Amino acid sequence: MSRRIWENDWFGPLLVVVVAVAIVGALNPSFLSPFNIQILLLAISVNAMIAFSQMIIIAIGQMNLSVGAIGGLAAIAFGGMMEVWGIPWPIAAFLALALGLVAGLANGVLVAFTGISAFVITLATLSAYKGVNLGITEAQPFYEIPATVKALGNETFLHPLPWLIIPCVVVALLLWYLLNRLPLGRSILAVGGNEHAAELSGISVRGIVITAHAVSGLLAALAGIMLVGRLQLGQPTIGDDWLILSFAAPVIGGAILSGGHVSVAGTFLGVAIVAIFTQVLVLFNIDPFLVQVVLGVLILWAVGINRFREVRAQRHAEQVAT
Amino acid sequence: MTDIRQERSGAIGHVEQRQSSRLTLLRLLLSNEFGLLVLIVLFALIFSTVSPAFLSKFSLYALGRTAAVNIMIGFSMMVVILTGGLNLSVGAIGVSAAMFGGLLMEAFGLPWPLAIAGGLAMGAALGALNGVIIVRSGLHSFIITLATMSIFFGVMIFLTRAESYRDISPVFTGFGRMKLFAIVSPLLIVSVLVAVLLSVLFRYTALGREMLATGANERAAELSGIRVNRMITYCHMLSGILAGVAGVMLVSRTGAAIPSMAGQLGQDWLLPAFLGPVLGGTLLTGGRVSVLGTFLGSFLVTMLTTGLLLMQVGAFWVQTYLGLLLLLAVLLDLFRRSYLTRRKLI
Amino acid sequence: MNQTVFHAEGVTKTFPGVTALEDVRLTLSKGSIHALLGENGAGKSTLIKVITGVHRPDSGHLTLNGSAFEPSGPRDAIGHGIGVVHQERNLIPRFSIGENIFLEGLSAHPLKRIDYKKLFSDAREWLDLLGVDADPSMPVDRLSVAKIQLVEIAKALSLNSRILLLDEPTASLTPHETDTLFAILRRLRDDGVSLMFVSHKLEEVQEICDQVTVLRDGRNACESRTLEGLDRQAIVRLMIGRSEQIPDWSARDRSTGDAALQLKDVSTSLGHKQIDLTVHKGEIVGLYGLVGAGRSELAKAIMGKFAMTGGSVLVKGKQVDIRSVADAVGRYRIGYVSEDRKSEGLVLMHSVLENVGMPIWRRLAGFAHLLTNRTVRRHTEPFIRKLEVRTPSLEQHVGNLSGGNQQKVSVAKWLAAEVEILIVDEPSVGIDIKTKAYLHELIRELSDNGTALLLITSDMPEMITLADHIVVMNDYRVMGEIDNTRDYDTMSERIMALIQGEETVAAGV
Repeated sequence: MSRRIWENDWFGPLLVVVVAVAIVGALNPSFLSPFNIQILLLAISVNAMIAFSQMIIIAIGQMNLSVGAIGGLAAIAFGGMMEVWGIPWPIAAFLALALGLVAGLANGVLVAFTGISAFVITLATLSAYKGVNLGITEAQPFYEIPATVKALGNETFLHPLPWLIIPCVVVALLLWYLLNRLPLGRSILAVGGNEHAAELSGISVRGIVITAHAVSGLLAALAGIMLVGRLQLGQPTIGDDWLILSFAAPVIGGAILSGGHVSVAGTFLGVAIVAIFTQVLVLFNIDPFLVQVVLGVLILWAVGINRFREVRAQRHAEQVAT
Repeated sequence: MTDIRQERSGAIGHVEQRQSSRLTLLRLLLSNEFGLLVLIVLFALIFSTVSPAFLSKFSLYALGRTAAVNIMIGFSMMVVILTGGLNLSVGAIGVSAAMFGGLLMEAFGLPWPLAIAGGLAMGAALGALNGVIIVRSGLHSFIITLATMSIFFGVMIFLTRAESYRDISPVFTGFGRMKLFAIVSPLLIVSVLVAVLLSVLFRYTALGREMLATGANERAAELSGIRVNRMITYCHMLSGILAGVAGVMLVSRTGAAIPSMAGQLGQDWLLPAFLGPVLGGTLLTGGRVSVLGTFLGSFLVTMLTTGLLLMQVGAFWVQTYLGLLLLLAVLLDLFRRSYLTRRKLI
Repeated sequence: MNQTVFHAEGVTKTFPGVTALEDVRLTLSKGSIHALLGENGAGKSTLIKVITGVHRPDSGHLTLNGSAFEPSGPRDAIGHGIGVVHQERNLIPRFSIGENIFLEGLSAHPLKRIDYKKLFSDAREWLDLLGVDADPSMPVDRLSVAKIQLVEIAKALSLNSRILLLDEPTASLTPHETDTLFAILRRLRDDGVSLMFVSHKLEEVQEICDQVTVLRDGRNACESRTLEGLDRQAIVRLMIGRSEQIPDWSARDRSTGDAALQLKDVSTSLGHKQIDLTVHKGEIVGLYGLVGAGRSELAKAIMGKFAMTGGSVLVKGKQVDIRSVADAVGRYRIGYVSEDRKSEGLVLMHSVLENVGMPIWRRLAGFAHLLTNRTVRRHTEPFIRKLEVRTPSLEQHVGNLSGGNQQKVSVAKWLAAEVEILIVDEPSVGIDIKTKAYLHELIRELSDNGTALLLITSDMPEMITLADHIVVMNDYRVMGEIDNTRDYDTMSERIMALIQGEETVAAGV
């Protein structure tokens, strides 16, 4: 049975993006200026990493409150290694990614082996990682960021496409391939869909939980590193405001919070919607404080729609059954 | 039907009675509350040995005053955890309530008791809103309160232009600075009073029992004639009020209603909010609370923070220790529970 | 008979406090269908879990095709060709049929690209073999229960299973779907597969099985004997240790009393249509149907949990609008003993006292909702005593009680609430024979005292023992009603005929 086009997760968000771009572009042509598009793409590139980092955990039906803390820790580690130890930036980036991976692994191991809810574990590690961040930096940023890193974080390789969009697109494609074509990714979704059944089918649930958290940590670290380039600073506050966004985008993209179903394309479009709405507030001189309100409303709206679709799908299934 | 007759001999209360007094003692010694008490005494001894300033009158007073707020925050989360849910918006509600109270005092010139009542009413309204959305949508409180945390905080910042209200009634701020018997803050007394009221609610009222039954097994509670949706809404409303109390206490202590007093989006309250109940043995899956445990848990956390600061471990590292403490607490709880289950004590 | 494929000898398995299996033996032959029978709690599921490697036996040994078999886990058992279709759904809801069938293959090469084209065409073969008409790329959450069952069987067979365990595969199938399933099972048997079939429906067992093993209290009541010469009564005797005692209660007519509960042309948001039903004061009305016929759902709609979309409900002759369970319990004095004790009937983590008091707290509470344990105790203890709930104290958590005692607690709750109408849903699921007999007496006694009872049960003997009048449901409709003559054979035949719609509605009256 082939799915009709509007039944895809990405269809609704795509419609919203197209309509929003059309309306805003018509009202304010500067919205579609190359410079503005570059800004928009920069925001999307980083935010997509944040959203993917949460998405992979939502896929297994859990949550990761510590994405921001891991991202922040990786960011200051990246900045600190370059400034204090003078490590070349590619090596520093590699080590910072490894740090994120380890932090995620720690989350995964704790969740998988204690059976305590991921919420509590990641709340605890959020605090621990953030504390380490503050303990090292004493809340002061690292300023000495190499020019290459700054350039990569802000400039374009092909106007108006910024460098940062490259890791973003690569990661998105890899994730799509993982979750739709590789047994590992399918196992992640299977664990989220029905943990018991997955276990009986020989999938190592513990292994999958740990893998998902490790990937989440890695992606959070990548987002942190990208932000260092973009902000040109190793800011200790990086990651403080990621939590809401990290849930908003996947949920807008049709992810089911109880697990087993996420959409890479949907999540990406969710990030785009958030970025566009934020830009609109700036362009029309609307109070930027309202960004938070918009994000909150978007989440409510999206979970409402997802819920509606779920209920309808169930009804449909029952009708087929009877 | 002779089989049935035979069973008649073993009605209530015949089995295991001899062992019960010893078991009761063991159960008490292994209870969370007792463990927390031991830890509090232990750490008090350690801190006072390392740094005599810990036992100074001012230090004890400050400890009690800070603990009072943390206990309130802990209670605010506890009453939602008991439904098996969460309330991520405690901080946002607390600050919004405090700011509303400040607004009523400064801009409308209301006398402070009315302004405070207004602030608490705001807390109740926001909490009830959470409850209604959760019940109506049938979605988990996590995602709903995550969204409302952002909305409440955003609207509050938008309306206040991120400015503080500093024109607070001196009588009211005096309350936050008053010292009874040189070491006791009236705020701590408020917390004790609230603790007593909550204990009465959960132990001696039909309402409290219905809330707990709803949290323990919503479907069974509903089929027993309990209006579960109403109970969940009430719990969230109560959480809003308690968050409001915490916010108002902070206003009284600092003498101003400051939008950033709970950090970005009120997130700074999240850790103390969970530490208290979790240390105190409140089940995250709902259905069981310990008011005393939460009280002691929040107190212990405050004491550890204060003590660590006194020992000059560096203010920035404290957060790490608190995170590790939460981890340790849940792990210990896991072992304690599995021990009790194995010994068939619960 | 044929050659032995699998043999279990002296299997013992204990859990803290319970001996689930003791010295159990079982032999599966090639190309046969073997029934595993026993009451709830007799050890059937534990034995299945031992065979499929979920539990390791404390002692005893298993042999598979003549050599020792010690499965290290479910994976290992599957690898040795032992497939199982569990009672609970074990598919990934949003995954396609094809992917679910070959889910086991996923973990072997985590990073090797899945070839969906090949996967679907391979799945197609299995579906064809079982005669399932469905697109392998269709997500399983869009399938009917019967098809899901067949996908599970395809999944088990795809692993080259030569032994297939089926745990209550027909529980939610219609008679027609059951026939289709049986045809498939027979074909598999003829292909040399050894099947083990767990069911509560003895008629089905007699229809399809060749051999039988009965467990009682964790021991063999009989072991791998042929079904020939075993009639229904003999099987029941093996299962419960004595012959089925149907109390010698005479048929009675209670339909002359006042109507306590009447449904007239009721339809519900769940899909019930044209439901007419009357329960008189002092009458026991049985509601019979297969799993999924909509009986429990109707009960919950009466209780106000689900909305009525049409028709009218009358309580004691007055039309009422029950909007919530609280209404039903508090205002109209209707109670519901759920079939799912653990998740709907009781709060396992709370005490006996709390559970029994739950429906009446509000009624008992005084000023400012204040309520002490003493008050609750005063109003509940007489009923807990009357039902002889075996518990060390009223403070004991209900979760620590035995199934039978838990059931008594969930009934005591409604006695304490002094309900006038009581809906009892599958009262004897998971409880011992003694408690079951006791509950039957109690239900009878309640009706004698004037309570109107609506009894939902899939246990035909129980229905015929207890009910005064039987209403048969299928597919969310009432198929007809009959007065109970208490003659088992004719009654069960007429009921089954009604379910299949062969007897016309007029036959009821």
